[in-house]
This record gives sequence, structure tokens and C-alpha cells, in this order.
Amino acid sequence: MKQGVIPDDLTAPFWSAANESKLVIQNCSQCDRLQHPPAADCGLCKSGDNLEWKEMSGTGRIYNYGVVHDCPIRLLQDDQPFNVAVIMLDDDPGIQMYSHLPGTPVDDVPVGSAVEVVFEESANGQKIPEWKVVK
Amino acid sequence: MAILISFDIDGTMEIGDPPGPVTLKMVKAARAKGIITGSCSDRPMSAQRAIWEEYGIEYDFVCYKHLLSDLKNQFEVGEYFHVGDRDDLDRKYAIRAGFGFFWPAEAAENPLLL
Amino acid sequence: MATGYAPPSMYRSQEGMGIWEHRGKVAAVGVGHSPTERRWDERPETSVGAWSIMALRNAIADAGVSPDQVDGLVIVPATTTGAFWPKDKPLPQDVINSFVQTDDPLDGIAKLSVEWLLKNMPELTNINYSVYAPVCMSNALNVAAQAVGDGLAHTVLVLKAWHNLEGRYYQGGQNAQESIAGTSAMTSLWGAPACYGTALQFAEYCRKYGKDHDMMTPFIINSRRNGLMFPEGYWAQHRPEELTAEDYQLARWIAKPANLFDNDIPIMCAASYLFTTAERAKDMKQKPVYILNHADSDAVPRGLTPTLEEVEAECALTGRKIYEGAGITVDDLSFENMYDGFTQFHQFHIEGLGYRGIELGEALDFYQTDISIEGPNPVSPSGGNIGSGRSRFWMHTDSIQQLQGRAGGRQITGVNAEIGVSGGPMPLGGNYTVWSATPD
Repeated sequence: MKQGVIPDDLTAPFWSAANESKLVIQNCSQCDRLQHPPAADCGLCKSGDNLEWKEMSGTGRIYNYGVVHDCPIRLLQDDQPFNVAVIMLDDDPGIQMYSHLPGTPVDDVPVGSAVEVVFEESANGQKIPEWKVVK
Repeated sequence: MAILISFDIDGTMEIGDPPGPVTLKMVKAARAKGIITGSCSDRPMSAQRAIWEEYGIEYDFVCYKHLLSDLKNQFEVGEYFHVGDRDDLDRKYAIRAGFGFFWPAEAAENPLLL
Repeated sequence: MATGYAPPSMYRSQEGMGIWEHRGKVAAVGVGHSPTERRWDERPETSVGAWSIMALRNAIADAGVSPDQVDGLVIVPATTTGAFWPKDKPLPQDVINSFVQTDDPLDGIAKLSVEWLLKNMPELTNINYSVYAPVCMSNALNVAAQAVGDGLAHTVLVLKAWHNLEGRYYQGGQNAQESIAGTSAMTSLWGAPACYGTALQFAEYCRKYGKDHDMMTPFIINSRRNGLMFPEGYWAQHRPEELTAEDYQLARWIAKPANLFDNDIPIMCAASYLFTTAERAKDMKQKPVYILNHADSDAVPRGLTPTLEEVEAECALTGRKIYEGAGITVDDLSFENMYDGFTQFHQFHIEGLGYRGIELGEALDFYQTDISIEGPNPVSPSGGNIGSGRSRFWMHTDSIQQLQGRAGGRQITGVNAEIGVSGGPMPLGGNYTVWSATPD
């Protein structure tokens, strides 16, 4: 079970969208550039004036993965070992998200495969974007 | 039926870092009862062998914690126990391997070691 | 005297800057270390503050100068290995009573300020330049070299110290909580341990070049062997255990493909070096080791973790910056002491250097050859963090000692120690120093 999430000012729109089963990523309209994790300023123009949230298609590919056997987070330790994959979004492969790849056997991860976003509940009910391999 | 006891080192045995409550005398007492003993630790296996040899205590095996279940293939005995101080490693791997588990303080009071 | 962080202008971050303007005009002379310990036992004499003072005094004595000759301090104020003093735990009163305190009660216990050091080292009477460097000794060395070269100070002590407290690595704080703040959750919810990012890069490296984890074995064995000949190091002092192929290859995974022995052990320790001008160094006790260049990598990955492509491109760029500013080529390197904690950084660093002519994807094959200190191609003669525990400074101490001819059992013998390079930590985000036995 993932830890619960307490949305803060910077990330509240991301978590609110997740609760509505939508994936949004921060975008600088000036630079036309997505960035994740979100930040107070655009990583390119360094201005925070043009940051907005943009809904994503919710599809991507598995770029890479590791298998976690010794995790620092107490709530996850009973689930060890587990996959932690890096997903690159189809909307912009420069944008990466982590995933436990629910439904994919441990250490049997099809690198390069297509995935689609799903939303799962964390310990306090906040929904979290996760990714499932498209069969 | 014979018994096998595997000892973690750090936080479990008196020679560990940090030291634990299980003494070398207890290990010797177990061996005197015919119990199969050895260590199962995160320390390098070559270092585990060196420790037993340094203290002049015979041992039947050394292994890593995640390989605890391999001992069942090596030794056919009636009961298997592991003694360790970490819930997420010692206890977890012991349970997964079908071993009985003792915390170090429990083991130090167990008649098998006295 | 207010102390701030070194400005970006002190770092050599760009390619095309030409030969360093102070090439060969700055030298390292003195080396000072504290002992090592796995964790702090909460005694005053083993606190991070006490060990910092010890390291500084040892460096002064090693250089053979008097404390009043020192006019500069470059230190890293952060000392944590990942352990933080619990908010609700009282500080040990005898520690507080043993030192002159600043306004911050954790100063000298879980962090370090110039103010605290000067209050507790009254013999440093002539410090008129001080500056902070972030994170690592590697960074502080770059700043100190530039400061001496620029004439901001003529005799500078550089310091990095580490504290480690009871409890397991990164297991407390927010990692033990039921819920965490939204910003942290963006990256930490999935439970990736510290070595995960590097393990990912290594996984991709293995897929791309057809290599496997076991091919790291000779590097691991060699590093521990070298570390056991480092009397200042943790393993040599406390647990002189060699590692065998069986030890390494059967060890449990932390984040596969990184196992327990691909990770370095967090420890308490401190080290200091005395830097001065090449001119002043001539009259000091130890043979000067001249700095030919310093280089900085300040690249930031686009995504959550650097891709292999980003890592390889940045390491190659770093290699070019190192050689360009030093006015040398790869053929001039006698040895390399690039970062290794995690072990899987090392192949990226040495491929970026093109060390001994290796190209992308060839480092693990290179590890299967003679990489010992006795051979023609010494790899990590310091043994690095794997050989002596997490300090991120063994590589620098060793480089200086190799070129002074006082590396003891670690002294490389297959080649003459003339020029070496050390630095790290990350392929994206590191600082490097080129050292030489002669100024030109």
C-alpha cells in the first residue's frame, strides 16, 4: 500500500485531477514545455508566470525498470520485492513517471511495451497515477 | 529430530556491530546439544567463516539472509530456526523460508541455547 | 565574518574555457583525517565537530605550517549521511558543554558552520576568507583551488565531515509516515532506494552493450583490496574483510541490478587538505601536489532520473573539460580515482574519460584485465567508498598521496604516479580535480 498524499499548494491540481482519474502535467505556455515533477518556475525560462496544467493522453512506454528488494518506506516493505519502472509519456518522452506496474510479474517487465494510466487508492484515499501494460 | 539454528550477527550476537544478547557460549551450548548451527548475516560469507574460525567455534554453514531457504536443501532436520534483529530482513526471510523465528533477546533465554 | 556559498563564477562548468588560468600555481600539501566510526556514540570527543577539528589540525601539522599562517577556510556545512537528529530527542548535554556553541544547537553535532569552527579553534587567528561549498569534498576542492588561484586567500584549509546516527539508513522521517506531502509524493511514493537511479542506468547499460552484473566482480574485489590498504578507512580500521566473488555475486539485491555491495556503507569521518600557492608550498613539509585543473558538471536531467544517453553524454563532456583545462590528454593520466559509491557510477566516469583508451560499453571488459595497483592500468587505487566507506574523499586523499609517493601499500607500482584525476559524485552533478607531481 502506498503512503497517503497530502496535497500542497504546488501539487494540488495534480492530485485533484488524479481523484477525477485524469493525468495532468505542468506546462509552461511561454516555452511550450512540459515538466515533471512540478516546480515553482519553468526549468527553461525560469519564470513561474506562465505555468499551467495540461491534461495528458494517459499513454506511454516502459523505458526502464529495477526491482526493489530493500525499500526505505515502511508501508511498502511488506510488498517487497516489487517492480519500479520508469514510464515515458507518449505526449513527451522527456516526461517520466514512476510505476509499480500493477499486474506485471516481478522482474518480468517488458521494457519498451505500451502502458496506459490507471488510478489506484493510497493509504488515505488519495488516488495515485499508476500504469498497466497494454495487452 | 535434529534442530538447525541460524544466527544473524550484527545486533544479534555479542560479537556483532552493534552487539546483541546472543553469546558465543550460547552457540557452544547449542552445539553441545547436537544442534546444527551457523550464521546467516549480511556480512560477506567469507567474513562469516572468518569470525567462527577466529573464535574457535565450529559451524555447519554460513549464508546470506535471503538464501535462508537454501539451508533446507542442505540439511534435512526436524525444526529450523533463525535468530535475528530486523523485522524486514531476518523475520521476513525466516517466515518466507518456513523457519521458526526468535528475536535475539528471546533466543538468549531459550533452553536450546542454555 | 559572514560566510556564504561559493558563487557560480568559481566553477569551471563550460567546455571551451581553455587552459585553467591558475594551472600549476595552486598546490595541495597537507592531508588530515579523523578516525572513522559506523555511527556516533554521542560522546563529545567523537562528535562531527570534534573530528572536524582533529582533521583540520592534522592537515595543518602534516603541511608543517603554523595555524596562524592559514588565512582561508572552505568547508561543506552539511554533514549528514542521511541521518537527522530527531526533533524530540534532547541533545547530549556533555557535548554541548564541551564546545563553544553558536546559536544553532546542532552546530558541531549534525551540521557545521565556519563560526563554530573558529569559536572552537582559537589558534586560527588569521582567517580572513571563508566560503561554503555544497554537498561534497569534490565541490569544496574546486572552490579552494579557485580561491587560492584568484588570490582570495593564500593558505586554505578545505574540510568535509560526515555524521551518522543510530538507526537504519533513511528509514525514519517521512519514510515511516502514513501520509506525506504532495511534492515529496511525486517522486518518493514508489519506494525507490538511493541506488535505484544508478541501478536503472546500469540495467540499460547492460542491455545496450550485452554485459551483466557479475562482470562488476573484479572491480569490487579490487576496490575492497585497495581500501584495506587505506589505514584511514572504515573497513581497514574496523572490519578488515576482503570480498570474494562469491560474497559479491550472491549478496542480496537492494534495487536489482544493484546489490548490497554495490552500495557504500554510511560512516562518521572527517578529512581536510591544506591548499596553498605553488610558491609557498615549496617551503612546506610535504611534497606539493599541483592542481592542473578543476571541472564541474552542472547538468540537470530532463526527467525523474538521468537516462543512459544523458549520463554518457555528460561524462564525455566532463572528460573533455577535464583535459582541456589541464592541457593534457588521456595518455597523460597515470591513474584515475573517479567516484564509486554506488559502484555502478564508476564505469560511466572512466568511459567518459576514455581511460586507457576504453570506449563506451567497454569498462566492464576492462575490469576483467589487470586493474590492480601493481599493473599498468590501475583503477580506483584509493578503493573509493567501496573500499573505505562513504566519505566521497578517499579518492582525493589517495590522489594526493600517490603523487607525494606516500600512499603506502596502495602506492601504484605498474606506472609512475605523475598525473591523476579524482572526483564525482554523480555523472550529472560532480566536481573533478586534476593533480600533478609537477607544476607543468
